[in-house]
Amino acid sequence: METRSFADYLRALDDQALLALFALRPDLVSPVPPEFSSLAIRASSSPSLARAIDSLNEWQFQVLEACAALKEPFTEKEIIALTDASAKFVIPHLLDLALIYGGPKSYWLPNSLREVLGNEPAGLGPSSLAKLSFAKLEEAPDSAMKILERLTWGPPRGSVGDIRNPGPGIAWLLKENFLIPLDQRTVVLPREVAIHLRGGKIHKNPQPNPPVLGGSKGKEAIVDRAAIANVATILRWCEEILNFWSEEAPSALRAGGVGVRDLKAAAEHLGVDENCAAFISELVFLAGLVVIDADDKILPTHSFDLWLTQNHEVRWRTIASLWLITSRVSGLVGRGDSKHISALGPELDRVNAASTRKQTLEILRENAYLLPDSESFLALVKWKAPSRRSSTLQTELVQWTLREAEWLGITGQGALSKYGQQFLNTDANLGIAHDLPKPVDHILLQSDNTAIAPGPLEIEVARVLDSIADIESRGGATVYRFSEASIRRGLDHGKTGDEIRDFLKKTSKTQMPQPLDYLIGDVAKRHGRLRVGNTTAYIRCEDPSVITQILSDRKVEGLNLRRIAPEVLVCDHEANELIATLREAGYMPAAESGSGIILAGPKLNRAKSRPRPPRIIGELESLSDETLSAAMRAIRAGERSSHKQTSLREIASKALGELPRTTANETLEILNKFIKEQRTLSIGYADNNGSATHRIIDPIRISAGSLIARDHGTGEEQSFRIPRITGVAPL
Amino acid sequence: MTDGPLIVQSDKTLLLDIDHVLSTECRRAIAPFAELERSPEHIHTYRLTSLGLWNARAAGHDAEMVIDTLLKYSRYAVPHSILVDVAETMSRYGRLRLEADPVHGLVLITTDTAVLEEVIRAKKIAPLLGIRIDAETIAVHPSQRGHIKQSLLRLGWPAEDFAGYVDGQHHDISLVQNGWKIRPYQELAAEGFWHGGSGVVVLPCGAGKTIVGAAAMAHAQATTLILVTNTIAARQWREELLQRTTLNEDEIGEYSGAKKEIRPVTIATYQVMTKKKNGVYAHLDLFDTHDWGLIIYDEVHLLPAPIFRFTADIQSRRRLGLTATLVREDGLEGEVFSLIGPKRYDVPWKEIEAQGYIAPAECIEVRVTLTEAERLLYATAEPENRYRQCATTKTKRTIVEALAKHHADDQVLVIGQYIDQLDELSEVLGVPLIKGDTPVNERERLFNLFRSGEIKCLVVSKVANFSIDLPDATVAIQVSGAFGSRQEEAQRLGRILRPKSDGRTARFYSVVSRDTIDQDFAQNRQRFLAEQGYAYKIIDADDVSQGKL
Repeated sequence: METRSFADYLRALDDQALLALFALRPDLVSPVPPEFSSLAIRASSSPSLARAIDSLNEWQFQVLEACAALKEPFTEKEIIALTDASAKFVIPHLLDLALIYGGPKSYWLPNSLREVLGNEPAGLGPSSLAKLSFAKLEEAPDSAMKILERLTWGPPRGSVGDIRNPGPGIAWLLKENFLIPLDQRTVVLPREVAIHLRGGKIHKNPQPNPPVLGGSKGKEAIVDRAAIANVATILRWCEEILNFWSEEAPSALRAGGVGVRDLKAAAEHLGVDENCAAFISELVFLAGLVVIDADDKILPTHSFDLWLTQNHEVRWRTIASLWLITSRVSGLVGRGDSKHISALGPELDRVNAASTRKQTLEILRENAYLLPDSESFLALVKWKAPSRRSSTLQTELVQWTLREAEWLGITGQGALSKYGQQFLNTDANLGIAHDLPKPVDHILLQSDNTAIAPGPLEIEVARVLDSIADIESRGGATVYRFSEASIRRGLDHGKTGDEIRDFLKKTSKTQMPQPLDYLIGDVAKRHGRLRVGNTTAYIRCEDPSVITQILSDRKVEGLNLRRIAPEVLVCDHEANELIATLREAGYMPAAESGSGIILAGPKLNRAKSRPRPPRIIGELESLSDETLSAAMRAIRAGERSSHKQTSLREIASKALGELPRTTANETLEILNKFIKEQRTLSIGYADNNGSATHRIIDPIRISAGSLIARDHGTGEEQSFRIPRITGVAPL
Repeated sequence: MTDGPLIVQSDKTLLLDIDHVLSTECRRAIAPFAELERSPEHIHTYRLTSLGLWNARAAGHDAEMVIDTLLKYSRYAVPHSILVDVAETMSRYGRLRLEADPVHGLVLITTDTAVLEEVIRAKKIAPLLGIRIDAETIAVHPSQRGHIKQSLLRLGWPAEDFAGYVDGQHHDISLVQNGWKIRPYQELAAEGFWHGGSGVVVLPCGAGKTIVGAAAMAHAQATTLILVTNTIAARQWREELLQRTTLNEDEIGEYSGAKKEIRPVTIATYQVMTKKKNGVYAHLDLFDTHDWGLIIYDEVHLLPAPIFRFTADIQSRRRLGLTATLVREDGLEGEVFSLIGPKRYDVPWKEIEAQGYIAPAECIEVRVTLTEAERLLYATAEPENRYRQCATTKTKRTIVEALAKHHADDQVLVIGQYIDQLDELSEVLGVPLIKGDTPVNERERLFNLFRSGEIKCLVVSKVANFSIDLPDATVAIQVSGAFGSRQEEAQRLGRILRPKSDGRTARFYSVVSRDTIDQDFAQNRQRFLAEQGYAYKIIDADDVSQGKL
């Protein structure tokens, strides 16, 4: 059978297969490699392979392990023999991913794949070189059987006291070549023996099918109702935490992020636990509704004001979509072992967060209205995306995702709601705006000085009420309490007692209770006894005699000044006009900004900086078809030009009979090919002084930018730095 | 989205829209587990508390029923966290049980050893426990039954008490319903109490709490100790019991400053119970002199601290607390609940009023404007004297005169805090005054004259705040009070809430000096009643003097 290089295989792929590969492994085309050799190198590099392997489910991974346990080239039959007949449905996917190549008769593995999988795939040791007679195993003494039992399912290595003086069982196994001595104290079970003992298969529990998701079916109406309550609540929480921070902006920690105490205060204000508060703060942070300002104050941004004007569905979709793709994990905030991780802080990014979240939601999406039991859910996630590196984090990520999905209202009482379903299907209309309780425009005033808004209030009404009453209870309805202090606050914000009265009379469905009426009257009366009217400009002077003088001055008669206090005149002319007239008349007025005296509305503190939502790292977005085909065209074009160059250089080099010269990519490609074929080749190698020498070598492997090879000149294993290899040529 | 009458808030309050058709039904459904907090005109506020949920569990309701009720009546979707919280809280109940053990006396038994391990490690619990019997059982000192229940409640692991109550010495008591009938709510309250074992019944003033006590005694059929606020109240209880039950004069004893009788039914005053002799409470033995089957605490919101401590020691006896206003300015409402027992019955005042069992009342705040001289005096007064200064002004006196004149045909009570002021008023109005140093006999004589209508008007000090039964009083004029005390205001209104023969509306005037601290206090005082739905009307003193009422 002919051995083909990985690059050749890729080169020969048709456009469709190539596009499929790029779609599955977008890291291969970002950035776009110049030609196929580079593509092959990238596709067989450890990071890229690891990433591709991460995308496999448990069964696909088991089949790949089986491939790695076989000698190349291997056949479909051999794979099936080691696994299960259904493995044949997996092979095309592995081919699509270029985790194996070749076919249809025989397959190879890209170079570093075995290294990425580890030297002992599925707990199998190295192949034995000796001839093995499995029949002999029948005669194995008990002591030997015991040892075999222990090593069968891996790890295949066992330590012995001293290899020269083994126990009877080990001695027998060593003699029969059923164990291979590795060093003084270690023996290893050869691959063939293990496979034989495993009954010809390599996995104890082959899992061709996903585990069944258990759980109970929720009632649709109840789930949806619970979900819409969650949606309403999360939107309210977001708004409230920002209003809370707007009133009293907490200072960010020096390392960035919200301090433990500030988070606690926010949690208490919202009436939620700190995990939830951390989640809410992260949500608004992602959406750019809050920012750590230049002076380290955590303040809502102007986007918050815009956000408030949007309808609830848009608001919800904004935060939910960002949550879907973020790499930040709010669940990490303030955990026992990681107190230093803070919300809005720099340490929340986790590489697999978005993919695990996506995986989790995908399972939910396939099981609408199912309230999954957590054990089988986790088992299913683990099957779909077996995480070999950080499985505790994965478990937690799944749990957090479920918790957060509930907070967001994607689920209701733990089961996927219709809103969640439509959201995950990226439907245009989620129906949230329609299903949320309709805003009410009225309140009920009661004689115990409370007002109740029996539903979500329209924002204008809520704003006014916020300024004249204290909120006592939140939820579907809002309970406001009027007190002397709250009325005074309203007056401080520029309202008059009559305005407050009129507003309440207009907004309340019930009659204004007399005590409240009196309360407002009393406070307003004491509140500086204000009179309010409209005017365009004013003149004030601390000396009333000057005011009197102006009033009687004929030169300014045309201004129609009116005296409203001994020291104040008002008129309906513009301030600059007024100033000009006064100057002409010989006075020396100074302009005064209106804000000094006109009582402003409630001050909404906003950050001066522009929103800077956190960057999403570690995840690659899926590329569009156009990008992918553009990438492919670029590679094909690069390939053609590089061929031309190579042939030109070959002609030149033949003519000169000099050191072999190849481009870096060709070098790697040839090296890879020769490593695989275990053939001797000649290389040109530049030494420390820059002079190139000709070496004959047997290449062994490539690792960390160096070629490990046996130099025929010295007879020793030596490492050659790849950038210094000027060229490679077969002998 | 249903259109129910209930709104479940995320802070665990429940808002009940009482104008809704389903409101009565809903109120009944949530009453077992939610505590009524406020009941003004349109929206009543209930609250879900751990205590309330546990009481519901104790009464045989489960979390599912609570959740179903919330979902059924809720106008908006109920926040998931609330439902989870309800289920979790209710599941904590009953994992620990207090049981009577033939060998070890009282034992604490658990179905969940982890919980037991947690609680026995708590600092407050450890000293109350005896030997560990097995993994699930631990002995408890019988005298600590009250303490351990209280401490477990604070830890959030309430113990279900199966240890039962002592029956006490048997004594035949039954109601004699000749010419009157026990009212439905009184019966419900007595039954609620009896099934719960111990607890507090909250009923408005004048709604007949004595009858609830008598009905409870009829349930208990045992010797009873009744603790009341003062001697007058003791005598009223006695009269009432003689009239309404089979008890005769020899069976009822009075244990007060004047008399020290111990009979099958003994009525003692808080005052005598807390009297110290040589530094010790000489009369607390009373609790032990008899094998009481029932202890009734009248006006339980006034329960003095020594009695608190004692109550913790008598957890095996049934206890009934009666009050109209369970607001303690010292914030010890929680103690009352854990020592006497949880609230077993509560009903909005306005509801009883609607049923006609208490008189409708109109609350009027009369604002008087101080004269310039008075204002100056007020402004320059020391802060600690300010309230007294503005509460006792001469201007007020004239208004009281005008009010009394306006109600010349009604039975009028003038109530105040400061004796000097009351002395003056009594002189100006030419009517008798009852104050702290008025002898009991003289008080009784005057009250009787007032009841019979021979005296139309009485000036009373705070001695008449509680328990004084004056059925025909229709007008009360409050001139000063104990600062911002909410329950005092409610109790004073209570004096005139007995239903009138002609169904007349009672009037409660509170005379307040405008623009002074008096007004601030008045606002605080009115809060309890406002929350019960009594809308105060504010009028100007000038209107009174011009006869525009």
